[in-house]
Amino acid sequence: MKALREAAGGVTQADLARACGVTRQTVIAIEQGRYSPSLETAFRIARALGVGIEEAFFWSASEE
Amino acid sequence: MTFRELSAWVMSLALIVGGAFYFNTVIKASSATDGLAPPILGPIIIYIGILILLSIIGHVLGAIAARGETDAPADERDRRVIAQAGNVSGVVFGVGVMAGLTGYLFTYNGDLLFYIAFGSLMVSQLAEYLLQIWYYRSGV
Repeated sequence: MKALREAAGGVTQADLARACGVTRQTVIAIEQGRYSPSLETAFRIARALGVGIEEAFFWSASEE
Repeated sequence: MTFRELSAWVMSLALIVGGAFYFNTVIKASSATDGLAPPILGPIIIYIGILILLSIIGHVLGAIAARGETDAPADERDRRVIAQAGNVSGVVFGVGVMAGLTGYLFTYNGDLLFYIAFGSLMVSQLAEYLLQIWYYRSGV
């Protein structure tokens, strides 16, 4: 997600948090894989980054 | 660290200090008498005073440290952390009270029942705040 933030013009974690209605710590937790957001927040994040949800979030079998 | 996590640290510390004071008082009173000392109001009032005082001081310092975050509403992660910690805390309290009631059926000792129920309340509250910290740090 960090790469997507940078690709979207250097969106900061605080900017993304504000745009999605969560705290900056929640954005950090999502980036570090410590929190799986709700579907609604996932859509908001993808929209704020200007990408599709499948580009921002995907299932990794290695995380099982 | 969010203000909510900071708040959980403050309340954990306050509960540990208050609980240590209260049960230290009970142990001292019990060792002075023959058997378990009956519960009295004084130490409970002091325990509540310790909780209030430490939580006010801690939250004021926390608000200064985390300026701008204190009024922020709980987001979905906060709500999930609070809900999961609250669930476990409820179970801890329930198990403690059931243990106290079961003990009462065998001993008919109301003082012991009071201490177990009050202790369960303290432990369940402490568990709730410690679990919140754990969930914030390790993920939920």
